[in-house]
Amino acid sequence: MLPDTVHKLPREERFAYARLLAYMARIDNELTVDEMAMFEQRLGTALLSPGQRDAIRAALKSPPSLEECLEELSGEAGRLALRDAVMMAAADGTVDEDERDALEDISEHLGLREDAVEQLLDWTVKGYKWMKEGYELLDTLEE
Amino acid sequence: MFPDGLSHRSPQERVRYAEILVYIAAADGELVREEIATIEAMMGRAMLHPESRITVRAGFEQPIPLEQSLADLDPVLAQIILRDAALVAAVDGDYDRKELTALRKIAKVAGASNSQLSALLDWVKEGWLWFEKAGVFLGQ
Repeated sequence: MLPDTVHKLPREERFAYARLLAYMARIDNELTVDEMAMFEQRLGTALLSPGQRDAIRAALKSPPSLEECLEELSGEAGRLALRDAVMMAAADGTVDEDERDALEDISEHLGLREDAVEQLLDWTVKGYKWMKEGYELLDTLEE
Repeated sequence: MFPDGLSHRSPQERVRYAEILVYIAAADGELVREEIATIEAMMGRAMLHPESRITVRAGFEQPIPLEQSLADLDPVLAQIILRDAALVAAVDGDYDRKELTALRKIAKVAGASNSQLSALLDWVKEGWLWFEKAGVFLGQ
């Protein structure tokens, strides 16, 4: 959608990235339409093979543990996964305690600064504001 | 970037949405990986059926003419398409002349004036700046 680098990651890292997002999507045992749309969007960005997509969709039904996801994740793939995990967690309008704990665990695993999750949440709020402005622009077309 | 009710549109409308985005992405020549990733993301967000996605991907080689896709298009859907087409057109870093021509055609169906289209392009630029900021505190 916007200029991204997920598609430039090696194939295995894109898979690990998507697996973490599958974990995040199911963390509260609910999957709203908004979360699903966000998940499918990020899956599209990752340009996974059909076989990998099947495996990721299976992971949605039977999510791996966070530890399993993190074993495969490091470096740039990990940072991009954290960024998009934050966006997914916020997709339904709230970030609950389980989601917040998982985000902090991912950040710690990646060795990021202590306030990384907080910064990403602030950044996501700004993104929502930007998107809302897009809707408002569309509204002006109807007048 | 975020879900916006597009999933409530009919399957046919969502396919038309994606076909127009493919046309925009291909307007400046062969599709590059960034553009394909963007189209795949848009199809994902619109929650297109996997078989519909295969149909849309067929357009990567030979996109459906824009005039055909715009015929009898619901103006409200055209507005959503205009917004996302502006995002797709910006993916390779600039707006090509052919992309701008296509955006103006969509804008006409959407009932958008030149100044409204210009405001939309400014909005896209703001989105780019916002998105890039994530890299700063992720140390990229």
